[in-house]
Amino acid sequence: MAKRLTLLFFVVLFLIIGLVPIAAMFLKTIYVDGHFTLRLYRALFDSSREWGLVGNSVMLAFFVTAAALSAGIPLGVVLSKTDLPFKSIFTFLFTIPLLLPPYITAIAWSYWVKKEIWFFGLPGCVLILSISFLPIVMFLTMAYLKSVNPGIEEAGKLLSGWFGVLKNITIPAIMPGILLSAVLVFLLTLGEFSVPNFLRYKVFSNESFTQFSAFYDFNAATVSTMPLLLIAFVILLFEAIFLHRKTQESYGMTPDSDRFLVIELKSSKKWIVILLSLASFILIVLPFAALVREALNLGILREALEKAGDSLLRSISYAGIGASILTVIGFFLGYLIYKKALPGWRGVDMLTLFFLALPSAVTGIGLIGFWNRPATNFIYGTPAIIILGYVACYTVLTSRMTISGLSQISSSIEEAAEISGIKWWRRVFGVLVPLMKRGLLASWLIAYIFCLRDVGVTMAVYPPAHDTLPIRIFTLMANASGSLIAGLCLIMILSTLLPFSLFMLSVPKKGMA
Amino acid sequence: MPKKYLKIVVFLIIAGGFLSAGIIHARTNEVVVYVSEDQVFSEPILKDFEKETGIKVKALYDTEEAKSTGVMNRLLAEKNNPQADVYWANEPIRAEYLKQEGISQAYISASAKAIPDGLKDPDNYWTGFSARARVFIVNQRAPEKPHSVADYTDPRFKGKAMIANPLFGTTTTQMAALFTLWGDEKGKTFMENMKKNGVKLSTSNGESADFVASGNFDFSLVDSDDVFNRIKQGKDVEIIYPDQGENEPGCFMVPNAVLFIKGSPNSENGKKLIDYLLSRETERKLAFADCAQIPLNPGVETPPEIKAIRTLKVMKVDYAEVAKKMREIQSFLKEWAR
Repeated sequence: MAKRLTLLFFVVLFLIIGLVPIAAMFLKTIYVDGHFTLRLYRALFDSSREWGLVGNSVMLAFFVTAAALSAGIPLGVVLSKTDLPFKSIFTFLFTIPLLLPPYITAIAWSYWVKKEIWFFGLPGCVLILSISFLPIVMFLTMAYLKSVNPGIEEAGKLLSGWFGVLKNITIPAIMPGILLSAVLVFLLTLGEFSVPNFLRYKVFSNESFTQFSAFYDFNAATVSTMPLLLIAFVILLFEAIFLHRKTQESYGMTPDSDRFLVIELKSSKKWIVILLSLASFILIVLPFAALVREALNLGILREALEKAGDSLLRSISYAGIGASILTVIGFFLGYLIYKKALPGWRGVDMLTLFFLALPSAVTGIGLIGFWNRPATNFIYGTPAIIILGYVACYTVLTSRMTISGLSQISSSIEEAAEISGIKWWRRVFGVLVPLMKRGLLASWLIAYIFCLRDVGVTMAVYPPAHDTLPIRIFTLMANASGSLIAGLCLIMILSTLLPFSLFMLSVPKKGMA
Repeated sequence: MPKKYLKIVVFLIIAGGFLSAGIIHARTNEVVVYVSEDQVFSEPILKDFEKETGIKVKALYDTEEAKSTGVMNRLLAEKNNPQADVYWANEPIRAEYLKQEGISQAYISASAKAIPDGLKDPDNYWTGFSARARVFIVNQRAPEKPHSVADYTDPRFKGKAMIANPLFGTTTTQMAALFTLWGDEKGKTFMENMKKNGVKLSTSNGESADFVASGNFDFSLVDSDDVFNRIKQGKDVEIIYPDQGENEPGCFMVPNAVLFIKGSPNSENGKKLIDYLLSRETERKLAFADCAQIPLNPGVETPPEIKAIRTLKVMKVDYAEVAKKMREIQSFLKEWAR
């Protein structure tokens, strides 16, 4: 009973935070002045321009996903399954772009490539977003590789070399992780507007943003997001039908944490080190060095610190609170989905992913429309509205991390505790949480990073005097000097990297897996 | 209760406390202002107000990337539960729009007496101050220089001119003003002829200014601050105030506009802030800032490069009409900009 009630509570909480505001918003588009109408939808489907932009969005998402997979999978394999030296340094370097709002990576690159024509357009967008989302593929590959049964790999090695084992056993075994990363990268690219906007590439997410910005027509703007949502729905359907089944199958591959087969690179070691050094130097170090060079002036840094002001502290606090709440909600929803503990668990799973795909302007306006009332000013007029935005957008990250964590714990442990008469709450906090503590910490960190770097939903809902640092940079970008923006970006980078580095240092290497 | 469970509960309590602190802090001696003027210029003014009056300013700034309309959307969405006391718009059309939507209320500020009549609302729903002029930024190496907006359609300048996307910002406002002045037919013909004459579109005035400064185009209509900014950066560009001839309509002015929100939660402080923004001292500061805005109060000290408003031939338009026209021509502009 306690289990069902608790899980139901978190489902209802998530529905109130995420679904109800958005559903109310879409209802307004079909009930205009008390009458049912599909006028706005008809106008959308009759317009050829919008569909052209949808094509641009899909093309961008496709290229970014392909590039992130092509680089991220080998990188994940090399950094987790080989005896390559300096693995933690390479992991750290390639993770940096994920920790920052993608537009900051774009700014860093713009200092490096200056006004190169090729950079402003589709190639620039593909480059920046691939670098930004590549770590998602890399980390999921690394995490799923830990779940592969070493016994099967050993058996494979009797018949073939490592290449054959990777091709025929390891990579097919981690396919659910790879597909999940592809879905995440595709959806994140589809909803991304700051980089295409900065690099002047027309995509559909900017179109819906324009509808909100230029015409003040909330209903038309809501309807304008429909094509993106249809694409997201198709992806979710694919995810639900194919990927979920595969994921369930892979749960059977309980890892043996003490045994993990490592590939010895032998003579190719130094070439891989050279290749990764070059790649990280060109893709990460050089652009960020250009940004640092632009900002490296005491006067500029002082001015940047002054401008960043309390927005830096606010960013850290809101991200910390958001991540904590997301970890708790994600844990219970992840538990519900993994254990299929309530009917409709798949719907909850799809909804969490749906909100990641929903354009942030829509989520923001939905939240404003729902919470902006005198009775709920204690939410709307305070940072609580930002936290609700984080929960709506990013619950999928923590719920999926929980699912991944639970899949690595033998279900017999919880069953044994249940047979011994231990109540559900004690089983959760006395058995599961301690076993998952590293995973939960990683879940908190991922949520913290995504909250800290958020621009979309925060920009739509933040109350006066509660702007965060990414918002402040975004706001000042139009007229402040390039050096000042570079200085602010540097502060943003340091404020993100410091806690991340501390985390990397404080968690034992085994735990990072 | 297990210890770890306790830790989570304690953390949530702290988080709750943090949020409550925000709520308790919500209503003190403060004023809430929504700002569309660039933060880099408006924030120092608001900080000075805070220092001089002791009233805490809570500001919500727009971003250029949101095409400076994010706070407008907020004001519209908050109509029945207003959070803001004052809106500092960077042009008067939004102020007109909000007046028509019943978001603002009339307020006669003592500081507004000397502001010219055409640059404030006759019913006192908004008041203009510190204006930008819509001017040409011209590359100094351009063989021929424009003097009128009509030059966009002159074959001499075929393929040499640029303009920011007329769906957004002050370019929309100026197009709507021209439609008001010329009538729809002439306005549409002018825009079609611009297209035929190879006028290129940019995403913003800033981008237009950069393209002209780098020599890719000879000229573009931009805001006066975009030109002053590039001149300060040492670029080879000059400013030309268009249509200053005898039979020409004059230069289109875009004043800032301040308005008082209906149902303002801190109305007295809101009025104080409006008085402060309309003061000569604020206009002086905005003239000497990088935005180099033209004061509307007479006799305000300015840097030498800024022309006094009395020395300019200013386009005479009714901003309420322009606001109305802007809505009417939006679908045409959207088609045109494809």
